[in-house]
Amino acid sequence: MNGLWRRRLWRALLSVGALAVLYGIASEIGSALLPRRIWMVMHYLEDVELLPPYRSLLEEAVFLIQSGILPRSVLVSTARVFEGLVFGAAVGVPLGLSMARAARLECLLDPWVTFFRFTPALALLPLYALWFGFGELSKILLIATAVAVVTLLGAYQGARDVPRVYLEAARSLGASKGLILRKIVWPAALPQIFASLRIALGLAWVTVVVAELIKATMPSLGYLLALAGAYPRVPTIAVGIVTIGLLVLACDTVALGLYAVATRWMKRSPARA
Amino acid sequence: MRLAEAPRPPKARRVWLGLASVVALVAAYTLLSNAYRVVDPSLLPDPIRGVLRPQILPPTQRIFDAFVQLVGAGTLPPAGTYVHTGDHIGGLVEQRVTLQGSLLVSTYRVLIGLAVGGSLGILAGLLMGWSRAVDEYVHPIYILFRSVPPLALITYVMLWLGHGTAHVLLPIIYAVFTVVVIPTYHGVRDVADVYVKAARALGAGGGLLLSRVVLPAASPFVLAGLRYALIIAWMTTVGVEMLMADDGIGYLLVGGGMWSSRLEVAGDPAVIVVGIVALALVGYAMDAGVRVAGDRLTQWVKR
Amino acid sequence: MPDPRRRRLEIRDVVHVYEGKMATRALDGVSLDVFENEFLAIVGPVGSGKTTLVRIVAGFLTPSSGTVRWDGAPVTGPSPERGYVFQEEAIFPWMTVRDNLEFGLVAQGIGAPEREKIVAEMITLTGLQGYERAYPKELSGGMSKMVEVARVLATDPAILLLDEPFGLLDAQTRSKMQDQLSRLWEEKRKTVILVTHDVEEAIYLADRVVVFSPRPGRVQAEVVVDLPRPRSLETRFSPAFLELKRSIWKEIGRA
Repeated sequence: MNGLWRRRLWRALLSVGALAVLYGIASEIGSALLPRRIWMVMHYLEDVELLPPYRSLLEEAVFLIQSGILPRSVLVSTARVFEGLVFGAAVGVPLGLSMARAARLECLLDPWVTFFRFTPALALLPLYALWFGFGELSKILLIATAVAVVTLLGAYQGARDVPRVYLEAARSLGASKGLILRKIVWPAALPQIFASLRIALGLAWVTVVVAELIKATMPSLGYLLALAGAYPRVPTIAVGIVTIGLLVLACDTVALGLYAVATRWMKRSPARA
Repeated sequence: MRLAEAPRPPKARRVWLGLASVVALVAAYTLLSNAYRVVDPSLLPDPIRGVLRPQILPPTQRIFDAFVQLVGAGTLPPAGTYVHTGDHIGGLVEQRVTLQGSLLVSTYRVLIGLAVGGSLGILAGLLMGWSRAVDEYVHPIYILFRSVPPLALITYVMLWLGHGTAHVLLPIIYAVFTVVVIPTYHGVRDVADVYVKAARALGAGGGLLLSRVVLPAASPFVLAGLRYALIIAWMTTVGVEMLMADDGIGYLLVGGGMWSSRLEVAGDPAVIVVGIVALALVGYAMDAGVRVAGDRLTQWVKR
Repeated sequence: MPDPRRRRLEIRDVVHVYEGKMATRALDGVSLDVFENEFLAIVGPVGSGKTTLVRIVAGFLTPSSGTVRWDGAPVTGPSPERGYVFQEEAIFPWMTVRDNLEFGLVAQGIGAPEREKIVAEMITLTGLQGYERAYPKELSGGMSKMVEVARVLATDPAILLLDEPFGLLDAQTRSKMQDQLSRLWEEKRKTVILVTHDVEEAIYLADRVVVFSPRPGRVQAEVVVDLPRPRSLETRFSPAFLELKRSIWKEIGRA
């Protein structure tokens, strides 16, 4: 199918390239025409580049990387995302699986799961900040909460969706409950668990960025954005945004890859290629 | 020995159990949060003492009190000039911020976000799912855009649009848009294909095909996407309000005032709990609404 | 004259009613005996309760009333002693053919070397050489079903329960599967209960055919199949075969 992929690649490059060129033109025009003083509520902001041309962006990017600000921020924010992801999934997945199997547990926990599901994780930020301080812990716990809810639902649904036939076949062959969990429920639910992990990853990034915007210390990507926004230095904002975007994309691609691996035994659906 | 897939207990029993666990927790919490009155704090070991303070675990009555205050703030005579203090609930009441008012404002924002972002998202998903060419050109750009959390854009957007209403709504619309595109895209591309072929063979073209075949076939996916978009819309709305807005539930949760001074407000947990519970209830109600309406619209689906 | 063979399965007055919006009486007092090494086929129209009965025998269902005794003891739940092959696809899609085949053995705690031996035997028996590491998605419907049968046989059950195992396959594959099952049975001589709506399949494979009435299910008639073994394609066209077919269809028509 080489021709197909080549065409797709070509078209993708074309459209992204066109966008890049468009931006270049717009930024050049902008630096000439756009205002440099902007009124912001109480005072004027000076020397604002609304559409920074590529050279500004490049300069800024180089500066941020060489000074170590960007790498350190990336490290800190990414670390928070992954720590939150691991904690959240470690709680959510087992709980979800247990809830699918123990009807009474499910009924008991259901109102709480529903409550957390409709509470945007960010709304909990003030509470967590109060209880756990403004440091690492509250942010990681916030992310973990959001991740736990999503993965719990994914694991629960995945386990409940296991076709009854497989469970009966396993019991008929003499499998114990533990074996069924390990070798039947777990692999059958894995695709849905991974799908929910992918969503959780996106959510984790959103949460960490906002949490860092609201209450953070350097170095972190959110704080970088906030600081740049306060000055403002648009090239910095732009570099920050691009960095976050790339990180999210990378994580998402990895998650997608994991999902593909976990479902390689699945029959291809009869959809269009 | 029961099978793993045990039948669920009847609905009434389920509701009772759920209710029981909520009641049990509330009762336990009330006991715990009021413990400091009964037990002499100096007798408790240090970490526990730190937790059982009313500043950390607001007693249940205090939560009720906050609730009443926040709902009733609107009935007070109009406020004078507002001087920002560090007092969370006091400050809110001073500004005549009410719970219901805040929720209303936030709900309004979420609905606009859903309406505008949803329509745009469905449109985009439709185009991408329908035309192979459009898909291959536009999809990569879409992927780039959706990778950026909408709230990260807010500082930039503010520079362009100033401190009005648009800069609050834009991230919400954007967030909903990015979420709705994918399910629509999948619904149109993967599911509708067979039906499109059948309809075409019967001579259907253009508009009829679209409205009577493609959209209905894709609708279960779109509706599922809308439910998820609702959650994202609320998340974004609360975030935006915490950062940049003058009203809404996010604003209430962080205590209001100018952005720079928000960091100084000592959060009153009672207010936060009231806010969160109210928020969850509204979210649940809206989700139920979408779900019921969705089920009605997709009655024909085999469940 | 009392049957000299050992009675292994004793079904007495089994009644089963499915609860729901409308209570459905699936079985209305079924009594049946199944003997050692016997191949019993149960035929009947849709809804006659055949699947319900065999699920009760397996232990997935508890009858509303009546008893089922296996080797004298009442049946309380599924067990590898009573191997079951489902009508739907029950091969585990995330496991290779090999892993599927040894699953029952793993469940019983059998050690690796022994498992290897048995799995190899099953592979040969079902003619699936070369497919040990294949995933079910690479197999045809017939091969997949064969793996399921072999998976059950690997645990050496005392009785094999087959619920319309070939119902989802096309006619040619079904015929091939029937031959394979017949060969397998010749080799292992297990006690078998086969549920099917295909009268020809029943006669071809069984020693005895029990005809169920339409809902509510009852044993309507019993026909002994004394065709010579081993059976082949020729058997299907023999006059005796035709005669049996006629009498069974007559029974079904009489309901």
